[in-house]
Amino acid sequence: MIFNKKGYLHFMFKRTLLILLFLLLSMPMLAHGDLTIRIAEKTIEISEDPNNFELYYQRGLLYQQHMEFDYALEDYLKSQFLGNTNKALHYQIAEVHFLTAAYTEALQSIEWYLELDSKDLSAKKLQAQILFQLQSHKKSLEGYRYVIHNMKDIRPEDVLEYCNIILAENNKNYKGALEAVEYGLDQLGPHTISLQLKKLDYLKDSGQTEKVLEQYNYFILEYNRNEFWYYKKAKYLTEINRPHEAFISLKLASVAIEQLNAKFKNMSPVIELKEQIKSLESSINNQKS
Amino acid sequence: MIKKSTFLLAALCSVVSIAQTYNVDLPNVSAVAVTNPVGLPQHSASVTVVRGPYLQSGTPTSVVVKWRTDIPTQSVVHYGKTLKSLSKKASNSALTTEHEVALSGLFPDTKYYFNVGNKSEVLSKSDSGEMYIITPPTAGTKQFVRAWILGDAGTANNNQREVRDAYYDYVEDAPQNKGKTDMMLFLGDNAYGSGTDEQYQNALFDIYDDMLKKSVAWSCLGNHDGKSADSATQSGPYYDIFTFPTNAQAGGTASGTEAYYSFDYANIHFIILDSHHTSRAVGGAMYNWTKADIQNTKQDWIVTLFHHPIYTKGSHDSDTEDRLIEMRQNFMPMMEANGVDLILNGHSHSYERSFFLNGHYGFAHTFNPDEISEGGHTVGENGHGDGKVDSNGAYQKTSAAAEGAVYITTGSAGKISGGDLNHQAMSVSLNQLGSCVMEVEDDGRGGQNLTVKFIRENDDIEDYFTINKSGIALKADSTASGLISGGLIYDANKGEVKLKVDKNDRLKKVNIYNNIGELVKKSRKESINVGKLPKGLYIIEVITKNKGYTESITIE
Repeated sequence: MIFNKKGYLHFMFKRTLLILLFLLLSMPMLAHGDLTIRIAEKTIEISEDPNNFELYYQRGLLYQQHMEFDYALEDYLKSQFLGNTNKALHYQIAEVHFLTAAYTEALQSIEWYLELDSKDLSAKKLQAQILFQLQSHKKSLEGYRYVIHNMKDIRPEDVLEYCNIILAENNKNYKGALEAVEYGLDQLGPHTISLQLKKLDYLKDSGQTEKVLEQYNYFILEYNRNEFWYYKKAKYLTEINRPHEAFISLKLASVAIEQLNAKFKNMSPVIELKEQIKSLESSINNQKS
Repeated sequence: MIKKSTFLLAALCSVVSIAQTYNVDLPNVSAVAVTNPVGLPQHSASVTVVRGPYLQSGTPTSVVVKWRTDIPTQSVVHYGKTLKSLSKKASNSALTTEHEVALSGLFPDTKYYFNVGNKSEVLSKSDSGEMYIITPPTAGTKQFVRAWILGDAGTANNNQREVRDAYYDYVEDAPQNKGKTDMMLFLGDNAYGSGTDEQYQNALFDIYDDMLKKSVAWSCLGNHDGKSADSATQSGPYYDIFTFPTNAQAGGTASGTEAYYSFDYANIHFIILDSHHTSRAVGGAMYNWTKADIQNTKQDWIVTLFHHPIYTKGSHDSDTEDRLIEMRQNFMPMMEANGVDLILNGHSHSYERSFFLNGHYGFAHTFNPDEISEGGHTVGENGHGDGKVDSNGAYQKTSAAAEGAVYITTGSAGKISGGDLNHQAMSVSLNQLGSCVMEVEDDGRGGQNLTVKFIRENDDIEDYFTINKSGIALKADSTASGLISGGLIYDANKGEVKLKVDKNDRLKKVNIYNNIGELVKKSRKESINVGKLPKGLYIIEVITKNKGYTESITIE
């Protein structure tokens, strides 16, 4: 018993020293706090059980979190070599390849994964993202469409990415992109700002002048503070050669600023805005004269 | 072997200071205890509440009550303004173990007692009145507010309990507003090691059960929560457990996601960001939302929270880690320019609190303690002081100033992990267990004080500081009814605008535009009836023989 306890203590002492040594040597390179320690611990576990594919997989995940993608891939491939046939491994390999821009390899790995689980939405999304990078826009769009319409909780980011693919596939398909935005607004809430902003961009890019102005009015009416929106609307009105309306919008912007509390008036974005208003106003006046 | 070990040990001791203590205090997930409400009467019901109830997404008129039962049953909440008369009911007849009931139509700043159960019985109640909701006041209200701030709390061990108990002691003995906690703010890593449901049970529900029944909990995502939660699909325990406003239900701007969101409480605007999973790029969806949100608030105070710290030399390093650098370089210039007052972060398991700063986006060694007007990074005469009212004085931020914010990395509510703790921008750096309390109150001079205290696990208040904001009650000049300007008089009672035209001049026409720039009325008269126009801001364009000018009125 005494011997066992002594042996255990000796083992723990040696193990602790090894972890500390690893940490010391890797400190400058690995500065992610407890992730560094967990990688060190996993390394010790691997040294004690070098043929355990699960351990390599787990360390690969840690390296990946640590953004040490080469090490992560090395561990995943070692895990595979040692017999890991788990579908999650294919996903991770695909993801690391994707993150390191090795898109062909990434596609191969994710397709292996999808052979095992053809309906996994995360995998379908990754596949669509890989296809997009490989300029296979049509297939990418098909895949992403499936994801968008089947994912339980989409995010604004997903909708924006979907729109981007729609326009990559056909750079004139603003109708499709705007429908996707509307679908997003329907799913996420009608006032989701990043989608409303994207809607404005697409309406502008597709030259739908009156709808652009309606969209600016939406922002003006929806938000507590609208000085920035008045200015942006005025700028757009100037661009489409409607100087008088622009002039009125600038007046509204100035009044909106005047109605702010002093704190907001003195914020640098508002101070800059005042300058921009002044400059646009004089440019409109010059146009008139 | 001993020789080898001794050599290794000597080598280690002689080099770097790896003095960080790392406590692997992971909760014992095999010993998950079923929650039994502390101090609440037991009942012999066949259905048992095993989690909660707890409060989410509080607004002046609504709150979400959530709880879990061991077997599926209906969801019923009885509530009312007096404990003996819980006469109102909100329910859902679907059978579930994960109960979520929204109470709506509540009055602002009002206390409601409640219990939860199913159609046939009450399953969880407090006869002593320790289950209640106090709705926030209407946004903009200036009143005392207290928030309990917990960073990286989720160890489920005695460290966490001691930190909790120290706060409970503090709030029970508070000289004013005894026992009042308006909200809990979790800074992420709420349940080690991976934020699983069991770990959340151990580290959040079992630990804070009493407080969660009477104070709304808000949170940002930490990296450990992010191991089991997937922000890309908004799934996993973190997203299942918490219910956050995605459509500006609690004020602010709709983000469309629970990963980042905002809410108002009294005259404070809170912005919660996801520094872990979501893109931190300028121009990304979260950045655009943050900018729109912060430029849309009129609240007196702006507080933001996210997990990864802007400044730290604790168990993480804000000079070397990408998420920390990106949040600092991408988000802070925009947020500081728009008046953020307080930034709360976790991740490093220490307490590090800055001076009163503006514009420090570089590495630690680039910090310049001089005042911003002299090219430095501190704000005000005592911005490089300790911010203590009884020492160097409170940090001062007039109602007309946007600059000046305090950054706190407070991630030691569950464990400490040391580090160099020598970031130059920090006024105080401590390797101590504790949590923070933020209190906003009147300064007695028309302004308010925002005070944060760091409460150690042994009840000591190890650090504190105050930001004083003067003239909060002062509002902007009104251009509302009754306006008299050089060229126009608006008589709100008569609903009439009278133009003043020089004797030598002649009025040609008047155009009135509404708040979206539409022409809504034309006239050629000097006296114009505007009584029938809807409320709002109007621009009046006056054109005379000699000149053209504009005026504005607000019809209220």
